[in-house]
Amino acid sequence: MSHSTENNLCVALIGNPNTGKSTLFSALAGVRQRVGNYPGVTVERKTGQLTHRARQLTLIDLPGTYSLAPRSPDEMVAVDVLLGRQNDAPRPDLVLCIVDASNLQRNLYVVSQVLELGLPTVLALNMVDIAASRGITIDVERLSRNLGIPVVEVQANRRQGVDRLKDALVEQIDRPAREHVSPFPAEFQNEVAALTRRLETASSNGQASLPRYLVERLLLDTTGYLEDVVLEHADPGLHGAIAEARTRLAAAGSPVPAVEAMARYGWIGQVLDGIVVRPRERRITLSDRMDRVLTHRLWGTLIFVLLMVVVFQAVFSWAAPAQDLIDAGVAHVAQFAEEHMAEGALRSLVVDGLIGGVGGVLAFLPQIFILFFFIAVLEDCGYMARAAYLMDKLMVRVGLSGKSFIPLLSSFACAIPGIMATRTIENRRDRLTTILIAPLMSCSARLPVYALLITAFIPERKLVGDLLNLQGVTLAAMYLIGIVTATIVAWVLKKSLLRGPTPPFVMELPSYKMPGPSIVLHRMFERGWSFIRRAGTLIVAVAVVVWASLYYPHDPAVEAPYAEQKVALETRLAELPESAAERGDLERELAEIDGRIAGAYQEQSILGRIGHAIEPAVRPLGWDWRIGCAAIASFPAREVVVATLGIIYNLGEVDVDDTQAAGLNSALQQATWEGTEEKVFNIPVALSLMVFFALCAQCAATLVVIKRETGSWWWPVFTFVYMTGLAYVAALVTYQVGMLIS
Amino acid sequence: MNDSIPLQCLEVGTSGAVTAVVGNGDLVHRLDEIGLRQGAEVQMVQSGRPCIVRVNGQRLCLRADELLRVLVRPGVVA
Repeated sequence: MSHSTENNLCVALIGNPNTGKSTLFSALAGVRQRVGNYPGVTVERKTGQLTHRARQLTLIDLPGTYSLAPRSPDEMVAVDVLLGRQNDAPRPDLVLCIVDASNLQRNLYVVSQVLELGLPTVLALNMVDIAASRGITIDVERLSRNLGIPVVEVQANRRQGVDRLKDALVEQIDRPAREHVSPFPAEFQNEVAALTRRLETASSNGQASLPRYLVERLLLDTTGYLEDVVLEHADPGLHGAIAEARTRLAAAGSPVPAVEAMARYGWIGQVLDGIVVRPRERRITLSDRMDRVLTHRLWGTLIFVLLMVVVFQAVFSWAAPAQDLIDAGVAHVAQFAEEHMAEGALRSLVVDGLIGGVGGVLAFLPQIFILFFFIAVLEDCGYMARAAYLMDKLMVRVGLSGKSFIPLLSSFACAIPGIMATRTIENRRDRLTTILIAPLMSCSARLPVYALLITAFIPERKLVGDLLNLQGVTLAAMYLIGIVTATIVAWVLKKSLLRGPTPPFVMELPSYKMPGPSIVLHRMFERGWSFIRRAGTLIVAVAVVVWASLYYPHDPAVEAPYAEQKVALETRLAELPESAAERGDLERELAEIDGRIAGAYQEQSILGRIGHAIEPAVRPLGWDWRIGCAAIASFPAREVVVATLGIIYNLGEVDVDDTQAAGLNSALQQATWEGTEEKVFNIPVALSLMVFFALCAQCAATLVVIKRETGSWWWPVFTFVYMTGLAYVAALVTYQVGMLIS
Repeated sequence: MNDSIPLQCLEVGTSGAVTAVVGNGDLVHRLDEIGLRQGAEVQMVQSGRPCIVRVNGQRLCLRADELLRVLVRPGVVA
């Protein structure tokens, strides 16, 4: 609850969603931004620094909201920050409200709440250009006078008016806040005063008294949330007192919570009286015309489907060159380490464990960044709300709403940001359902598994003339399996564990605008980096553990059967002249023996032994112990399976480098059941493995995030059990049916 | 309120005045906050479930059902 010091003052930025708040924040703070999280809640904590006229200002960006009415811990954060009750944030010295000039009435609702907090306040009137283009004129001077605070016109996207706004901030900080006259009727104010007295006597034991704003909210919040939080240790009789006060207010014609909207809109009506001039006839805007097509039942849906095809096409094709580059870079680093370190456990840990592990994560970055780029563009231009509108028609059939669409779309890149994006879903049951099905969307970590097995085992055959290709269809089928399963799971969850009525769906459709390049890039990098931070650290740790369980006990005795052959080859190689033609063959043979030795070590390793132990369980899926081993090793991160398969099938560490991947392909194609000539892999086995990976919960990072977002270990455990169960059964059916057909 | 009809029955292109928003108190309050409240003028832009309406110059996408009902009186509001 620290106040900021004299030369570092704190400004809180608040406003409705879609008012250009992030743009204004960037315009004020530039690149001096920091993003973090408030403890215990999912609200992003964004702060920035700005210096103006020798004053240091810290800018706190609060989440966009239509109202300061906390009904959940996430909504409470904004109120706590503004009241100085948030422990790790200084109490703001000033509030900057941003409003959309073309929709002042609604925007002033939250302003009327802010004014009651008793802090110096400045109003930024944004999008004056859009308002003007719609023929709306606003008398800014009178608005300022009626509100009793400075009003500055800005166009945040063009950086216009920003300097005047900074002037106003610095000037206003030195002035005391003007006493705001409450918009509530007298009977309500009397009840607030009575409740305040009651609270003060109840908390005479030295507890800090409640700010007036929260006492008001105690009366207004009929969800019971605030009573639970604020009156946790207070006299239980207070609940009864609040209920009685509400009954009296209802009888007096000021029913709670309706009295708030009546009072505030009444006040807004007085403030705006004669200030805003609108044209008699509403002009048809470009947004209107675009919406006629983009939300059209037929055309809108068609364009949406096309857009999704383009996005996914781009994610996979644009990412390829960048991915190759990253892989090559990682291979170089690995080679460098290999050449400059002495052979042994440490080198193996660095090369195979650390560099291999980090490289595995880095390879997915291009896809993740590209998908986040598209999501940021679609969000910033206003299309995402339309997509949610179109998807709502489908989502409602399984009991979800259009709000679940963006989290699920993000999950195709990675379930972690997808799960974090569910924060916008107010309904708890909907949010949980979305979190639980998000990991079923085929994330980019599954792609290497699909790519490896499809190229190795699915024949390249044309279908329907030249239009489709069997490999492409198989890939699409893997994505579809995830989507269809998610649909069924959501439907079942909403009928059982998370039963409840489908909540109504209300969402603003903002005007279309050109996406701002800096906002888009900023969001893309912000989300991309938070993925790297969260997943990266974990995957590194996992890679080390997998490496260790594949390396130890590392008994040199396993080399003995190959030693003679190896020495013989090495001596022959040493005797041959540099230019001899046989050298290539001998070198290849030597490499193969090295591979065999590596394989023997794997088999003797901890993980190898576990693989043997579970073989009876994976046999019905068509897997041998080595595949079982790879599946277990990839529990913490499914992309590990490619590397593990490579190591296990006697090939040594696999780089996703093209030539070597081809090597892994043929190694998988050649692999036989131990002691027989029968091939391990056929099409049903490959499909069974792919289906397993499409549905399994092999991602520790996702499970950790589910724990954090749901606040309980029960949900990640549930997710893991249901997904693994489904994956096992589906892989079993795939293999058994596949064997029957072939 | 006798001549009121559910919002979703409003024909595309026509307007009406909201006569009542009925349902769970918290949901009604949230609609209040964004301006879809008694007395507000709504225009049906796109019918169906969900529908798109214009309220005070903003476009809202709305799927109301048994938990939340919006009643309107059709006709041009002064």
